[in-house]
Amino acid sequence: MTSQAGHSAIIEAKNIRRVFRSVQKGEGLRGALGLLISPQYQEHEALKGISFSLEPGSFNGLIGANGAGKTTLLKILAGLIPPSSGQAHVLGYEPFKRSLDFRKNISLVMGQKAQLWWDLPALDAFDLLRAIYEIPTQKYQERLHTLSELLDVKRHLHTQIRRLSLGERMKMELIGAILHWPKVIFLDEPTIGLDVLAAHNLREFLKAFNQKEKSTIILTSHNMDDIERLCSRVLILRSGELIFDGKPDRLIKKGEGRLRIRLMQRPTLETLQQVTGLTPNLIEIDSNEGENDSNPSIHFTLKQEEFVPTLQSLMTQFQIVDMGIEEQSLESVIHRIYEEEKTQ
Amino acid sequence: MKLGWRIAALHNGLRDATAYPIEFIIEFLSAAIAPAAIQWVLWYAMFKIGGAQTIAGMDYHSMIHYTLVSILFTQIRGGDHDFELAEMIRSGQLSNYLLRPVGVVEFVYLRGLGPKLFISSFCILLGIVIGFVSGMSPLRILGSMLLALIGNSIHYQISASLSAVSFLWEEAYSVLMVKNMLVSLLSGELIPLNLFPASYQWIWKSTPFYLYVFGPAQYALGHWSDAQFFQQVLIGGFWLLIGWGLIRISWGLGIRRYLSLGG
Repeated sequence: MTSQAGHSAIIEAKNIRRVFRSVQKGEGLRGALGLLISPQYQEHEALKGISFSLEPGSFNGLIGANGAGKTTLLKILAGLIPPSSGQAHVLGYEPFKRSLDFRKNISLVMGQKAQLWWDLPALDAFDLLRAIYEIPTQKYQERLHTLSELLDVKRHLHTQIRRLSLGERMKMELIGAILHWPKVIFLDEPTIGLDVLAAHNLREFLKAFNQKEKSTIILTSHNMDDIERLCSRVLILRSGELIFDGKPDRLIKKGEGRLRIRLMQRPTLETLQQVTGLTPNLIEIDSNEGENDSNPSIHFTLKQEEFVPTLQSLMTQFQIVDMGIEEQSLESVIHRIYEEEKTQ
Repeated sequence: MKLGWRIAALHNGLRDATAYPIEFIIEFLSAAIAPAAIQWVLWYAMFKIGGAQTIAGMDYHSMIHYTLVSILFTQIRGGDHDFELAEMIRSGQLSNYLLRPVGVVEFVYLRGLGPKLFISSFCILLGIVIGFVSGMSPLRILGSMLLALIGNSIHYQISASLSAVSFLWEEAYSVLMVKNMLVSLLSGELIPLNLFPASYQWIWKSTPFYLYVFGPAQYALGHWSDAQFFQQVLIGGFWLLIGWGLIRISWGLGIRRYLSLGG
């Protein structure tokens, strides 16, 4: 197994497809009877022939809109579900065979799913994990000390998990997931629901852990800060297809920028399209500003040579209140990719 | 066989079950009182109101004695692991366990067994006290408890195999409920199984359920000889092998259909 960069790959996916079949439930009594007599099935292709390989010790971002197939891919790589076709290899193992050695060396954290026991203090859960992973007591004590200090949760170790705040719980989940020093860590939206400070601390911790322990990490997140600050490589999924695999800065095209503008009028997206001649994925009306705001910010993603003509055409139709030029951000690029998915 | 995580799982299960001590005690007492009350009403109606002298060779006092002793083993019979497993499969919570380097079915069992072992040691003491008053040998109490624990394992194996129905149908509640009703009837938890008509005795004899309560009670009460006891231990071992095979097959087939929903 050799990755694109020529190093030996620690994770390799070859043409992975995954199809889910689900029963379609009709409405009312007729639907219930139909389900009993002749159930109708619908197939959904969550992954459509994904191939990639990742290097040991790399920090990789896996991004995509809801339903793009990120979690399905992580579940296949972690060995929870098999692919419908294609092959996956993690640490040289076929994940779905779930050999003991494979399970000892991986970890999956799902931000939306509790893995620790709700009614027990975190320390009890960690002690059980120590026994499961056969961590020598002294090493366990050292790791627990380091992790709880780094994540600032030492004082909560004796508190029932269910009594902790979301951020504290997430930190405990993370400690539970890496106490055994896994070689591969799958993180599915670990910063979901965390406040800015907690998310920052978690990010810093993951960065330090990756650099120090050389664990290979795949992170999925909708928070572009997570991806931008942590990942040296990004994989973007769109409707089950891998549409980008490379360094994050490759996503931001050179010579491209963002024109931010605020108008006296409140034109629709269609009107802006007609006036500027740009495609809808290059125009973004700020949705964070309230419906009642009569002049929301509008962002245009443009090449350097397009700035002046676009401004000129806008000035023929509207009065400009405020304007500025911004650097292209990863978030806006991803936003555009998601928009493209919707229009497909 | 590695003992470390197994002992830790037992301990963790006990800690989890006793996280709310009052709840734990109430559950323990109610599980004892409900079947005892049903039996007492039944025996009172038959012997005191109906005027019966003996039924299947048992008089009112031996019925009450059976009731008291059977309570000890009803406590050990098995918990709701099957419902827990079925729900884990349905909700995708099973994924947490599948990722750990331990057998899922065994791990869940051991966590559930933790509190049962604690209760069984309490029941042994209680049994010795009852035995002291009624003349039951402490060795027989210990032997009966061993049989009840074998029954507990068999019960879990059957339950875990049935919970694998969730891989297929998502919901296994009714299947597990039917199993529980059969167990209540055929384990001797509600009535001594020798009350079954002679021509229907084969029904309970052909299931392992009688090893949960009726069998241990028979040995504790001195109705079974030591030879019969060892024979029943062997039969229990046979059922354990069948249960192990059932789990291997049902989970081996089921896990391929697991969707790991959520997340």
